[in-house]
Amino acid sequence: MEKSGYVIEVEHLTKRFGNFTAVDDISFDVRRGEIFGFLGANGAGKTTAMRMLTGLSFPTSGKGRVAGFDIWTQSELIKKHIGYMSQKFALYGDLTVNDNMELFAGIYGVPKAEARSRIDLLLDRLSLMPEKNSPVKDLPQGWKQKLAFSVAIIHRPEIVFLDEPTGGVDPAARRQFWELIYEAVDEGITAFVTTHYMDEAEYCNRISMMVDGRIDALDSPHALKEKYGASSVAEVFDILARGAERSE
Amino acid sequence: MGAFKFLFVKEIKQFFGNPFMPVVLILLPLLLMLVVPLAANMEIRDVRVAIVDRDCSDMSEQLVAKISESGYFILSSHEDTYAGAMDELGKGNADIIMEIPAGMERSVVRGEPVEIYIAANAVNSTKGSIGGGYLSSIVSDFSETLAGTPVAAGAPLTVVPQFRYNPNLEYKLFMVPALMIVVIVLVGGFFPTISIVTEKEKGTIEQINVSPVRKRDFIFSKVIFYGILGIFAFTVAFLIAHFVYGLASNGGLLEIYVSAMIFLVFMAGFGLVISNYSDTLLQSVFMMFFFVLVFMLMSGIFTPVSSMETWSQYVTYCLPTRYFVNILRAVCLKGSSFADLSFDFVMLSAFAVAINAVAVITYKKQS
Repeated sequence: MEKSGYVIEVEHLTKRFGNFTAVDDISFDVRRGEIFGFLGANGAGKTTAMRMLTGLSFPTSGKGRVAGFDIWTQSELIKKHIGYMSQKFALYGDLTVNDNMELFAGIYGVPKAEARSRIDLLLDRLSLMPEKNSPVKDLPQGWKQKLAFSVAIIHRPEIVFLDEPTGGVDPAARRQFWELIYEAVDEGITAFVTTHYMDEAEYCNRISMMVDGRIDALDSPHALKEKYGASSVAEVFDILARGAERSE
Repeated sequence: MGAFKFLFVKEIKQFFGNPFMPVVLILLPLLLMLVVPLAANMEIRDVRVAIVDRDCSDMSEQLVAKISESGYFILSSHEDTYAGAMDELGKGNADIIMEIPAGMERSVVRGEPVEIYIAANAVNSTKGSIGGGYLSSIVSDFSETLAGTPVAAGAPLTVVPQFRYNPNLEYKLFMVPALMIVVIVLVGGFFPTISIVTEKEKGTIEQINVSPVRKRDFIFSKVIFYGILGIFAFTVAFLIAHFVYGLASNGGLLEIYVSAMIFLVFMAGFGLVISNYSDTLLQSVFMMFFFVLVFMLMSGIFTPVSSMETWSQYVTYCLPTRYFVNILRAVCLKGSSFADLSFDFVMLSAFAVAINAVAVITYKKQS
């Protein structure tokens, strides 16, 4: 349904809370099938921007289209075409792994037989088959995150939004998590990832850097490093963040 | 419809997967219905009377015997002087003093009026006034017996109170329908509120809000599931009311259940509105308590509407509990039917529909 190769198009998006401008006039596009890293310090406005794109909150001003639908008027249509994994683990902890998967497959309208085969595939891929009937709250953090991601893509969305998906786990678990993202992207899903781990930024096709609610840089990690004469994305970020007024 | 089914199944799994909630669901009506009516008893019994008998005649002895036979009184002491009896009252050993004047028998025989003094301790006002009332009716009954008919000159007038529908003035019969309402308020109102606000606190509601689930599917999955639980708890309460306290022996099962269902839908919708405006469990529980107290104390559940101030009687028309209380009492005690209670049914339904509409409107998936 996209005429262009973009699945997210944002122009002059702004969100104010009282006289605090959380997101300050940002514009960017995300291409179909890429991994788009949405970087920034804590409090830079990443989550607020993502909540506007996922139809959880209205912008104060600006325009935006996600999966071809308008964020002002078609948020319920957007929701059919996206997956979302929040920063805070948001599956039902008291339900089992299998129940959670069935629930979300069901509410996104995945046909029953299809849902069963997808769930089994995902359980298998995550090696969660033996834990199928244990309550989700008993799983270790790294597994919870992988499960939350799998649930977010169970209906094969066009775009999956990941809000700091790898917080609080060890580097090995983070690497495994990124392998899942790559697998999803191979299947044609676009990934929109916020993170403040700068090493993860290297895994993205393109990254944007948010400072004080604005996007100060947007390009591929390689191009950004060249532009700022830095050896790593972390260094680029340090250069940009020096001008930041908001602290944690 | 699709999403509703999955959300409903989710509610079932969550509720019965919890080791605590199903136990509460059963124990709540059981304890409330079995223990509270026995403990919170406002019937007056065992009023302690101190007798000052200055006559010491056959007649005064007969009177005292009659009082003790009535079953409402305990003769706590016999005093020689009024002052001595006052002392007992002051120490809290007696609730009422009855003084029989000297020469009572003689005066009665002569047909002269006799005055018997009754002094009641009104610190516990119910016990004092009702006990005093009982006592004077026994005395007047006695005087009538003595005088034979027609009543001799000076015999006090007899007032025979007549209580209809609850002939024995059993406080339990007044209390039990009220407790059935409390069961619905707790299960039907608090359970869904707690369930939604917990979803807010845990963040799971966000995963729902970011999905294409329609607001009404989410809301009704809660209303209907907790409505069914409410009917279950109400049924437990009703069975106890029926078999233990002999309530609703006049039939009216259909009226009772239809009104209970409408009221449950109201309470669930009300709980959802509260949860739409609260971010934490604490906040929602306090808000619920506030409204539930108003519902309970101002709608005639425990105190009759007719004995309220006039302005507050008008206020009760804005409380859906008022209509439900009316229906339940009328059906249980008088055997009223739909036709007699059409106004209450219409009002109750109007509240239920309106509050659920508000619940759907005020639930925002997007802020």
